[in-house]
Amino acid sequence: MTKVVIVDDAGQVVSRVISYTGAEHRHLANKVMEEALAQANVPFADLTYIVATGYGRLNVPFADRQITELTCHARGVFSFCPTVKTAIDIGGQDAKGMKISNGRLLDFVMNDKCAAGTGRFLEVIAETLGFTLDDLGEVSLKSTQKISISSICTVFAQQEVVSRLSEGIAVSDIVAGIHDAIASRVARMVQRLKVEPEVVFTGGVARNIGVVKALEDNLGMKVFIPGNPSLTGALGAALLGKELVHKAAARGEILPTKERRLGEATFFQTVGNQ
Amino acid sequence: MAVAVSKGLARVKEIYQDRPRRVKELKAQGKKVIGYQCVYPTLEMLTAFDLVPYRILGDMQEPITKADACLPTVVCPFIRSCLDLGLKGRYDFLDGVVFSHVCDVGEKTAHIWRIYLSPAYCHFIDVPHTTHKAALEQLKEQLKEFRKTLEELTGKKLNEAKFREAIEAHNRQRALVQALYELRKPDPPLITGTETIQVLMALMSLPVEEGTQLLEEVLAEVKERKPPAKKMARVLLWGSIIDNVALVEMIESLDANIVIDDTCVGTRAYFGHVARTDDPLDGLVDYYLVQIKCPRTFRETNTGALKKDYYTDLENRFGYLKEYAEQWHANGVILQSMKYCDIHGYEVPSMKDYLDHVGLPNVYLEHDYNKSALAPLRTRVQAFLEVIG
Repeated sequence: MTKVVIVDDAGQVVSRVISYTGAEHRHLANKVMEEALAQANVPFADLTYIVATGYGRLNVPFADRQITELTCHARGVFSFCPTVKTAIDIGGQDAKGMKISNGRLLDFVMNDKCAAGTGRFLEVIAETLGFTLDDLGEVSLKSTQKISISSICTVFAQQEVVSRLSEGIAVSDIVAGIHDAIASRVARMVQRLKVEPEVVFTGGVARNIGVVKALEDNLGMKVFIPGNPSLTGALGAALLGKELVHKAAARGEILPTKERRLGEATFFQTVGNQ
Repeated sequence: MAVAVSKGLARVKEIYQDRPRRVKELKAQGKKVIGYQCVYPTLEMLTAFDLVPYRILGDMQEPITKADACLPTVVCPFIRSCLDLGLKGRYDFLDGVVFSHVCDVGEKTAHIWRIYLSPAYCHFIDVPHTTHKAALEQLKEQLKEFRKTLEELTGKKLNEAKFREAIEAHNRQRALVQALYELRKPDPPLITGTETIQVLMALMSLPVEEGTQLLEEVLAEVKERKPPAKKMARVLLWGSIIDNVALVEMIESLDANIVIDDTCVGTRAYFGHVARTDDPLDGLVDYYLVQIKCPRTFRETNTGALKKDYYTDLENRFGYLKEYAEQWHANGVILQSMKYCDIHGYEVPSMKDYLDHVGLPNVYLEHDYNKSALAPLRTRVQAFLEVIG
């Protein structure tokens, strides 16, 4: 997913957009930016500074600076939970744990090598069970006896789910088991950082109430979910951009910026594109 | 007709691009070239017999296609790559190979190399894994055996004077590498981590005297030229073998310079000194087993004591890293290990504890010896630099 957040001088969000990324990173960056500008009703030239983050951060042609998603998440989480010490982010393709103090990133762990323990894992399982991703959380709440999924690998876990179905196990118990599998995997990774409260849980997977509960069980503490868990990184990037500009202004400097132009920069040649 | 020969760093780059070219020329002139794996085979002994030592390395840009038929895929990708190159005929120019018991995969691969590649000469040195007295004696016996096989191979006895000369020649080269590392102490360092790897890989591809001459040229050139850009971070790089510039180039493309390392195309291969001893073997045993600080060797404080203090033990094992960081003014440590490298992987938790304890910020990267998979590592390194910046 590609997200845009625009904040004003006071750090208030004036625009937020989420869209599917697809293969044409650069093309999409233009499209979502256009949407965000329309939502905020500001011309492109009025954006003081643009920070790109995440996997595609090098593919945003108009970004003035790239900052990693880890630092951006830390800043984003801090903005609505100033006492945060630990943040856990589970997105579509990776899972991260962050130690934070006063909004600054202190240390981090990441899994981006394996689908297990990420949102992708849930997508595969939801598809196998014939649910949408958004259904899973509610379904798991009906569980009375969650099963244990022993396979770590997404492909094998999917097979395990199929064989449990054929044994006649209730779907809700299977889904609860799946949530526990992802939560325990992420919890073990994050525990390397010595988890301390407050713990904030972000990323698309944080919208799943089943995983939230499983994560709380595995960590033995409560986790807090922001209103827009998928937007934390983009929000952090926007806030960091604002702060960079303010700091530069305090030094009497103006930060160099790219030309504010939504070019037709695309990665791939599109047939029929004039 | 004399052919213009490049010098210094330009020559280093040429050798880095085509490592075996020079030894193939020497071979055509009648020299014998012996390949060795890891830093444990006694190079001084090969040099004393007038054999050219040539380090067997992998190629992270070459997909592994042949080795998987004779090695499990869940082992060290570096050694799989070395064997793969061997199976593809890329080491056919070698007149023999020397392996040693560095790690288990290295040991098993020695067998497999012998079976599949039938080298004319193949020797295995059983390097013990502790620095206890009995281990030192065992290694000495192993070196005597190694000498015997080389006498058979070359048809001549080891000449004591030549042996001592060879020891001095390798010591001289090590001292010059240490001098090169001195040039990384200023800020900015006078030579980058990328260039340093290229220099050391060139040294591992040349006879010792020729390498030393090249090193002298490099030293003179580096002292004279304009230093590279100053960066925010000065990094100590620790871990398993790095025999390609890709990883270091990625780190140095960000706001960081590698100023010191603890790797084996690095300080591990060059930061010791073989002492002059009555029996030259004693000096060699001390250098190879005690001085080379690879985690493949088990080290502990107070051998035999019932109780050990955790941090005293860590200080004893890793204290040299703190010294490196202090002397080279490193403000961060990047720990890296390739996937399935047990000896480095096991070391990481205690090493992180130690670095946290002495207040050195650090990050651990695991990679799979593959140039195309560097993007996720880039995120980790960049985030780490944002943490310490």
